[in-house]
Amino acid sequence: MSVTMRALLKSPWVFHLSTGSCNNCDIEVLDCLTPRFDIERFGMRLAASIRHADVLLVTGSCNRKSMIRVKRIYEEQVPKPCVVVAIGECAMSRGMFIHSYNCPQPLDRIIPVNVYIPGCPPKPEAIIAGVVKLINKVKASI
Amino acid sequence: MSMTREEVLNGMRTRFGDVILDFHDKSAKRVYVELKPGALVPVAGHLFRELGARFHIASGVDNRSQLEVLYHFSVEALNLLVTLRVKLDKRAPRVDSLVPTIKGAAWIEREIHELLGIDFTGHPDQRRLLLSEEWPEGVYPLRRDYQEWDAKAIRDRGV
Repeated sequence: MSVTMRALLKSPWVFHLSTGSCNNCDIEVLDCLTPRFDIERFGMRLAASIRHADVLLVTGSCNRKSMIRVKRIYEEQVPKPCVVVAIGECAMSRGMFIHSYNCPQPLDRIIPVNVYIPGCPPKPEAIIAGVVKLINKVKASI
Repeated sequence: MSMTREEVLNGMRTRFGDVILDFHDKSAKRVYVELKPGALVPVAGHLFRELGARFHIASGVDNRSQLEVLYHFSVEALNLLVTLRVKLDKRAPRVDSLVPTIKGAAWIEREIHELLGIDFTGHPDQRRLLLSEEWPEGVYPLRRDYQEWDAKAIRDRGV
């Protein structure tokens, strides 16, 4: 395993991107950082800028205006390697907004998604389980 | 303001009786006044300037046969919400803009214009407010007869 990958898996820094969510998933993501769940003990922390991050957490149903930004962030600004996590029903299939005029495509048709965490919103336990699966998946692939 | 609720409403009824199509006194706090579209500006000006009402927001509705615009005002001294309603012809929906009278109506009229296709005559800057640039002209998403225009849109859940 390369040094980069070992460092990435030891302490994945997470960037949290809301593409038009109702903020419920965002609150659950922040719950993961509270002492009760404390994902910092796994070395994870929220990065202030996408340029410092290893993991891109996406919440919310991509709308016509934010899908351009998501694409730009993923293709031009994230340092590679980067893994993408779709959190919540909206990021996976757009949930109740599937027929909205403003949400033409699900997230995984816009950028490649590595892990899906379902729920509306997913519990912090589900998010932690998803992140553990993600780390194991990346470990197994190298 | 020392006028009572009845004085205010009766004053509106006598002064604008010929342009008020329907006066719906829904509850102690809520009144709906349906107007001829041409009379919107003077009635709104009366509420805003003379009664000191506060303009809250406007809303647009497609009720299948017509398009409606509702301007919501509150007269705070009376604890009263007054809604001015105009019903517009769907083939050429057009109403005078309130922006020259009330500056705060500018953005909501832009939004109603892009989402329902209502033309506000006299609006100083009727650009789009929220829709993305790729959205085609003349397609209004909140109309009842809206049809999907984007061939690339995916509407199945895929899971």
